[in-house]
Amino acid sequence: MIRTVFFLLSLFSLSAQAVTLPELQQRFNQQPVLRADFSQQRQISGMSLPLNSCGNLLIAQKKGLWWQQEKPFLLTLLLTENRMVQTMSGQPSQGITADSNPQMFQFNALLMALFQADQQALEHNFALNFSDKGQGAWQLILTPKTAPLNRLFHTITLNGQEYLNLIDIKDMQGDETHIRFFNQRTEPAALTDAELAHFDR
Amino acid sequence: MPSWPILTAERHRQLAFGWLFICLMLVAALCWLLPRSPINSSVLALLPKQQLQGVPDDLSRDFSQRLDRQLMWLVSPPAGQGSEAALDWLTTLRQLPALRQVEGPMDAQHQQQWGEFFFQHRNALLDDATRQRLQNSAQAQSQWILGQMYSAFAGVSGKELASDPLLLVRGSQLAQLQNSGGMTPDNGWLTARDKQGRHWYLIHAELNASSYDITSSKQMVARLNGLEQSFRQRFPGAEVLQRGTLFYSNYASQQAEHDISTLGLTSVAGVFLLILLVFRSVLPLLLSLLSIAIGALTGTVFTLAVFGEIHIMTLVLSTSIIGISADYTLYFLTERRVHGGQNTPLESLKKLFPALSVALLTTVAAYLMLLIAPFPGLQQLAVFAASGLSAACLTVMCWYPLLAKNLPVGPAPGLRLIQRWLNAWQNHRALRIGLPLIVVVLILAGFSQLKINDDIGDLQALPKDLQQQERQIAALTGQTNDQKWLVVYGDNAEQTLQRLEALSPKLQQAKAYGVLDGYRLISLPSQKQQAEDLSLLRQRAPEVLSQLAQAGVTLKSPDLSPQWVMPPAWLESVVSQGWRLLWLSLPDGRTATLIPVSGVHDSVAMSQLAASVNGVGWVDRKTEFSQLFSQYRMMLSLLLTLAVAVIACIYLWRFRLPHGLVCLVPTLLSLGMGIAALAFSGHSLNLFSLLALILVLGIGINYTLFFTNPRGTPTTSMLAIFMAVVTTQLTFGMLVFSSTQAISSFGIVLSAGIFTAFLLSPLTLPVSKSGPAS
Repeated sequence: MIRTVFFLLSLFSLSAQAVTLPELQQRFNQQPVLRADFSQQRQISGMSLPLNSCGNLLIAQKKGLWWQQEKPFLLTLLLTENRMVQTMSGQPSQGITADSNPQMFQFNALLMALFQADQQALEHNFALNFSDKGQGAWQLILTPKTAPLNRLFHTITLNGQEYLNLIDIKDMQGDETHIRFFNQRTEPAALTDAELAHFDR
Repeated sequence: MPSWPILTAERHRQLAFGWLFICLMLVAALCWLLPRSPINSSVLALLPKQQLQGVPDDLSRDFSQRLDRQLMWLVSPPAGQGSEAALDWLTTLRQLPALRQVEGPMDAQHQQQWGEFFFQHRNALLDDATRQRLQNSAQAQSQWILGQMYSAFAGVSGKELASDPLLLVRGSQLAQLQNSGGMTPDNGWLTARDKQGRHWYLIHAELNASSYDITSSKQMVARLNGLEQSFRQRFPGAEVLQRGTLFYSNYASQQAEHDISTLGLTSVAGVFLLILLVFRSVLPLLLSLLSIAIGALTGTVFTLAVFGEIHIMTLVLSTSIIGISADYTLYFLTERRVHGGQNTPLESLKKLFPALSVALLTTVAAYLMLLIAPFPGLQQLAVFAASGLSAACLTVMCWYPLLAKNLPVGPAPGLRLIQRWLNAWQNHRALRIGLPLIVVVLILAGFSQLKINDDIGDLQALPKDLQQQERQIAALTGQTNDQKWLVVYGDNAEQTLQRLEALSPKLQQAKAYGVLDGYRLISLPSQKQQAEDLSLLRQRAPEVLSQLAQAGVTLKSPDLSPQWVMPPAWLESVVSQGWRLLWLSLPDGRTATLIPVSGVHDSVAMSQLAASVNGVGWVDRKTEFSQLFSQYRMMLSLLLTLAVAVIACIYLWRFRLPHGLVCLVPTLLSLGMGIAALAFSGHSLNLFSLLALILVLGIGINYTLFFTNPRGTPTTSMLAIFMAVVTTQLTFGMLVFSSTQAISSFGIVLSAGIFTAFLLSPLTLPVSKSGPAS
């Protein structure tokens, strides 16, 4: 009897410290707005120099994702619940909707799922391996299980603590991409007018 | 009694044997024809032959045959499961010998071949977006390539860049995804997701047989239903949706079969009961059966000989002929029963011959008027009825004087009642004027709420569950089943493809203007387009590469050799899977391609669009048929008016004023009442109502003719008319209960019209102070 109580107690204290995916998802969902800067390094085999780019992004609950690459050229990606618009300098913006191109859309919607640790959306396409790295740090390894994702990506690894800090993408062809996120800000909790304007295009 | 010296007993006996010989020939003909003739159950076959603007007949016929063979399923696994259920259903379908090309997921090998084909022909299979970028500037393409390379999720690899530096394969594959019609590839399957988050897997198959007769389609649907049941047991919670002409035509023929068996049997039983009641003898029953059987035999043989097939609807409607063909027998037998003591059978025939032949002629003339309408089903009915009724009447004339020798003689029942009824008509002004007035009031009330509706869709309503499946499939796939498409055709494949390319930008524009929601084009460029694309590539490629180099990306020059794709190679390749259906080549080289469209908001704009490009036809079966319906409705109204006018002239010539006009009253009011009854029952006026009116005119006029015949005795005429009306009501009246709406409204007009004609027919008796002679 005493032993059972001890066992239960230890279990309780353990789970109080450990990070779980549902918990993480819940935590991410509680952030109404997240702003961050990113720097990306993409290494394509056969090319001597890696492709470096950087910019910033904005995730707003109920609005979507706004991703702006500033260097080496301007490229904006707007992703909302039912449409995606990609704008490149000097070119007409290319818009697709969930109806017109479901696959392309689903693909990009995954990006959103990554940031929100949306377990259900991720589980349909990936085998998930979540591990607690201690001190609140965690790692989520995604192995694609559906085509065409499994022909493109070997693994997608997410690392984070309070926020998502790093995405490592290993392509099937041996190419690699590392995206580092920094300078994350959740205040102000409401979108500014300028930020709101991004989603109205 | 008119003398008729030519027809001796000996001569009549020869005639009887002659008719027997003809009947035996007809039986032989039926035995020969029946195994060679299909029974047609397609609802569309009832409709006029396609009048496609300019589209060659062979092309449109081959296309519709091909479309009728298509079957499609959407399978949703039980909650939380993957594609196993869909795979199981696919395996089940593949075991059916009646199906071919059962296609489910594209396996890895096919996917690889798919990619290879695009790679080997990348210089020839440019997509619209890439072509547009290249036409704009080299900058546009190089920027796009950089965008793809920098994207973390686009997955551009070094290998891809080395073999296809301009990313042409990527471009055309992205375009293919756009063209997938609202469905998402998932592990090789085409899938859709509904609002509840359920996944649906697409399976497609083709029926082996080109045309499906009723028995085999019934067996096939039963087989599929059985398989589906055991599938649902293996996967509780799984769902299957199905679409295909097979299911619809099977439903239609099941309904028709049901109509024939229940309505037909009730008709026959009712007619027989009446005969037994009136004659209290079995002989008349057998004789009626004989004339009905010979009528049906002749009708079938003639229909098959003329049309090569018989439509299920013809069979349903021909049950109505039972009543009319029984009339001739009854007329003769009534005469024999009442006057059998005084006249020889041959004398009775001579006495009735004028009435019988006039009745036959008017009815046959009315049926033959149906031939004018360009509807194969009605034309079949016209031929069936005209030949069948003639044969039934000939049977009565040739055989019954011999066969009815032993008919018991006795007074006809109800003679006193009839006499009283006729007396009332002749002596009571209240009845003579009051009853027609009441009918006029009813007609006016009916006309005030009459609606006109030429929409064919309302005539062939699908059952609820098929409708529900249709809606679900349309929502999931974005493909409606409203039989609307554009046909592009040409003398050869190249001409067709060039015309398609001329049409494509106009379609895009029409979509932008909201004329339609979507369309699907085969993605096979013409030789001309491929050559133009190649020179465009050769012109822009060096510039694109130097711009990429400036951005720090050095790639080797692309292979810009010609990689022509010819239609036969495209058809044989895996990339045309799912598209071959839309491509049709005749042996003489003429070629056509279908463009299925969805969400058309403006059919007129679509036909203008089609007219603006050579060799393009807009096919909108429903709208087309509805227009045709209204056109023929007007034409028949005119024809009916003309017929009434002719009848009025004849009456006026024969009976002078005012009796000539009085004789016209039952005819006019019967027509009006038929329409009024239609309005009261909540149906709307359409072509079928007009066709029924023609029969009301043709059959109802007999009643007037019998009474106005100076040689006839009103009471026997009345008895004959009474029996004719009861049999007609038993048959046409039964059509009211048909589950097919078109047939039911046809029955309402007929039975109300004929009943009115019967009710008012004594009006045509001359007014006299004394009662009618008996």
